[in-house]
Amino acid sequence: MKFHKQKLLSDALPQSIESFFTDEFTNYIIVKDGHIIAKQLEASFSSLVVSSLEGELDNPLYKDYKELLQYEDDAYTYNMNETTSGLLIHVPRNQVFSDTLHVFYVQEQPEMVNNTLIVLDENSEFRYFEYITNMSDGHFNFVSNCVVQENARIEYTALSKLTEKVAASLIRNSYVSRYGSSTHNIAEVNDSLTDSKTNIYLNEPYAAGTAKTVAITNHEQEARFRQLIQHNAPDTEGYIENYGVANNQSVLVFEGVGSIKKNMKRSVARQSNKGIVLGAKSRLDANPLLLIDEFDVVASHGAAIGKMDDEQLYYLMSRGITLKNAERLIISGFLSPVLKKLSSEELKEDFVLTVEHKTL
Amino acid sequence: MSTLIIKNLHAEVDEKEILKGVNLEIKGGETHAIMGPNGTGKSTLASVIMGHPKYTVTKGEVLLDGENVLEMEVDERARAGLFLGMQHPAEVPGVTNSDFIKTAMNARLEEGKNISLFKFIKEYDKAVQELKMNEDLPHRYLNEGFSGGEKKRNEILQMKMLKPKVAILDEIDSGLDVDALKIVGENVTKMKNDDLGLLLITHYQRLLEYINADFIHVMMKGKIVKSGNVDLMKRIDTEGYDWIKEELGIDDERVIVEEDEERVMLGTCATKEALDL
Repeated sequence: MKFHKQKLLSDALPQSIESFFTDEFTNYIIVKDGHIIAKQLEASFSSLVVSSLEGELDNPLYKDYKELLQYEDDAYTYNMNETTSGLLIHVPRNQVFSDTLHVFYVQEQPEMVNNTLIVLDENSEFRYFEYITNMSDGHFNFVSNCVVQENARIEYTALSKLTEKVAASLIRNSYVSRYGSSTHNIAEVNDSLTDSKTNIYLNEPYAAGTAKTVAITNHEQEARFRQLIQHNAPDTEGYIENYGVANNQSVLVFEGVGSIKKNMKRSVARQSNKGIVLGAKSRLDANPLLLIDEFDVVASHGAAIGKMDDEQLYYLMSRGITLKNAERLIISGFLSPVLKKLSSEELKEDFVLTVEHKTL
Repeated sequence: MSTLIIKNLHAEVDEKEILKGVNLEIKGGETHAIMGPNGTGKSTLASVIMGHPKYTVTKGEVLLDGENVLEMEVDERARAGLFLGMQHPAEVPGVTNSDFIKTAMNARLEEGKNISLFKFIKEYDKAVQELKMNEDLPHRYLNEGFSGGEKKRNEILQMKMLKPKVAILDEIDSGLDVDALKIVGENVTKMKNDDLGLLLITHYQRLLEYINADFIHVMMKGKIVKSGNVDLMKRIDTEGYDWIKEELGIDDERVIVEEDEERVMLGTCATKEALDL
């Protein structure tokens, strides 16, 4: 059985990710061009409902939410109309999953339009990890919507690694109800032209959202990462944290927006941007924005962008560590907020190697 | 046995000369202490020997066992056997203490070879206990959120692990309370052996109660102006530095005049600060 599975997988997967699927690695689903080609879930996930969108386009749950989750954006509209791939994940009421579900999205056909819907019912808790990669050139349009009901909690971690010749739009939305919380840890180590958006809507009091983004650009790459946390209710908390490294001639832009509407009193909107400019001709912009229409709030924003810290390099080197290794340590440390969220050694190694490759 | 020789060393920062001809020889097994008031160039000497990029050497030599240290990169100096316990060690977020020190130890081995993990953990744990530090230290980020005393102890811990030939401890006593000073002192004393040359830089004789020094040097105006044995230290302890200044006809002993720099903290709006709003 194991042999059969391995063989089937190695034919269908890019070599780069084969190594993840060791005997110990479990709780994963591989979606390739819209089809689930492998699924291995432990008994702990037996009450979780997961299905490919293929047969579910008429599912009332999906249809209802599709109506509800309107978001004005060309790529999003296109995605809604032209979906070719996707998952429907339903976390039932009061279910707490402490293990992480790993979903691998693989694209081979020229165009991938993926739409994933994750619905967390009341008092549930769910850890989701997604890995996005491609085998051929083309367009990659990715949307995920999380619906976080009252007192539910999602930890959403994403690692996307798309090759140079892909144009990618990645939109991840989350709609959070009373006492709910949504944490998005997004690591974008693509080589592609990338437009990435993370939008968290805090729709009811005491909802909380965190958007952490780690991004590295190199060569001629251009990438833009937007984070929006919109406070649609009083007593909501939103945190945006961005970490970026721009190498070679690349351009990396962070646009974090904390938006507090009128009367959304006692809300907290905080944002920090940190960046290392590695390449002599690279550019890293952070445009933190606070749009606040209410007096009774707590808000802060900050940006610290610069070259690698000379004092840190000197300190590491004074212990005998070479310049190259010192830079490597500082960068991997800098990116650790997402690195430490990765659940297996293979995934961590993959991330670290990608980072090293991109920061050479 | 190693020897560090410093000959007529001159160095400047921002075209201002700080070191004006330092001469010193440290042999394995010896402990030297450089004392002197603030701003006389003591810490600059330590940084120049280690190779801090801020300083430019304009004249003189530094030789470790006959090899020209000044031609080496910072990391090469360390691998050659130099160690500097810093006054203000940098904080490196995201890099754990154990990863850092492991990388530093591996850097001393042939390429491709790594230190045995078991041996490393055993040695590290022992050092942590001896310095009476918290057991979670290996997993904490390098110096991040450390108190002044913890940072200093962490420097000594690194020295223990890296086993240098010549170690310079730059004001390792500042920011330490009496108990911590005693722990640091005992640990450094325990490391003393015929192969280790030790250079202590300090304002106060307090540290020298815990670590015996064979030679005492006084630095003023960017040079060593007086050398002696422990009696010199005792006289400084009771009478201060004024008698030395008088003896040598020095008015102002300083080469670095502290200027108060305006700093903007992260998290405040720099534009606002600049416009004085």
